[in-house]
Amino acid sequence: MAAAKRSSAGPGAGYVVMRTLGELFVTVGVFILLFVVYTLYVTDWNAAKLQDEATVELEESWDAKPEPGSAPAVGMAFTKLYIPRFGDDFEFTVMEGAGKEQLDVGPGHYPDTALPGEPGNFGVAGHRIGKGAPFNRLDEMKSCDAIVIETGHDFFVYRVLPMSEEIVGWEVTSRSDKRCEKVPTLRTAEDGGGPYGKTVGRRIVTPDRRDAVSPVPYRPEAGLPRAEQAALITLTTCHPEYGNSERMIIHAVLTNQVSKASVANYGDLLEKMGGS
Amino acid sequence: MYAWIWRHLPGPFPVRLMVALVLITGVVALLMLVVFPWLEPMLPFNDVSV
Repeated sequence: MAAAKRSSAGPGAGYVVMRTLGELFVTVGVFILLFVVYTLYVTDWNAAKLQDEATVELEESWDAKPEPGSAPAVGMAFTKLYIPRFGDDFEFTVMEGAGKEQLDVGPGHYPDTALPGEPGNFGVAGHRIGKGAPFNRLDEMKSCDAIVIETGHDFFVYRVLPMSEEIVGWEVTSRSDKRCEKVPTLRTAEDGGGPYGKTVGRRIVTPDRRDAVSPVPYRPEAGLPRAEQAALITLTTCHPEYGNSERMIIHAVLTNQVSKASVANYGDLLEKMGGS
Repeated sequence: MYAWIWRHLPGPFPVRLMVALVLITGVVALLMLVVFPWLEPMLPFNDVSV
């Protein structure tokens, strides 16, 4: 009787509710998985397309006017960035501006910070997850690793400053690595190390530390005359990797300026630098 | 829910299958092109600047 009733009236109400609930759960699961795929892969494809366009724009602007002497307008392609540790093909076009629209394309230069090669601090922000994730592996950078900036005229080779635990005895340890030849600790005999006493290769800071990209990092009040400032580059990205409670900061110092007249291209420069 | 949709698709099995695939493609496209681009900027790891 019960079986006959079921076959004519369909499944019971409780069964239908449970089935629908199950279907909803599966749907939410598929939705979340698709969102992960979008975040980690689809945004990469979109960014790669925007990067290609920006690179073309940059190279055209170099052909037209190799050395503008000032940063372009926000939203324009500005320089190229290479980090040999991440592979010979690690190359990104840096945009002017560190807003969402620029960071969707690639790393972005903080507009109020120094220009490449100048005394002061060339500040660059970049994504760690998705959208090409240019700064995904900043946590792997070691002291003396090169960060190369290409402008219309020059290659600027920066090298990562010693890490906080390497400061003591740097004079000795740096001698064992040829790449560290021109990498100073930037410290003076003053208490706390002088103006650059807080500037090390890598720091994890809270998001409000805008002074990480100030001319003298973490010491905007130091009032060091521009001529006495070191030429730094500072890279910023999110930290922890999938969070936003902190920022990872990499500081590097200018060690070489190589005119593009003296090297054929970046590959040639890498060879002359000895590969890293 | 999905059984209900399947029952309401017109035509024989092959036609239903085709219509179902088109519907799934449409939903995925809507998510990828409209919903996710709106949702994604709210994720925490987009905050990379100081």
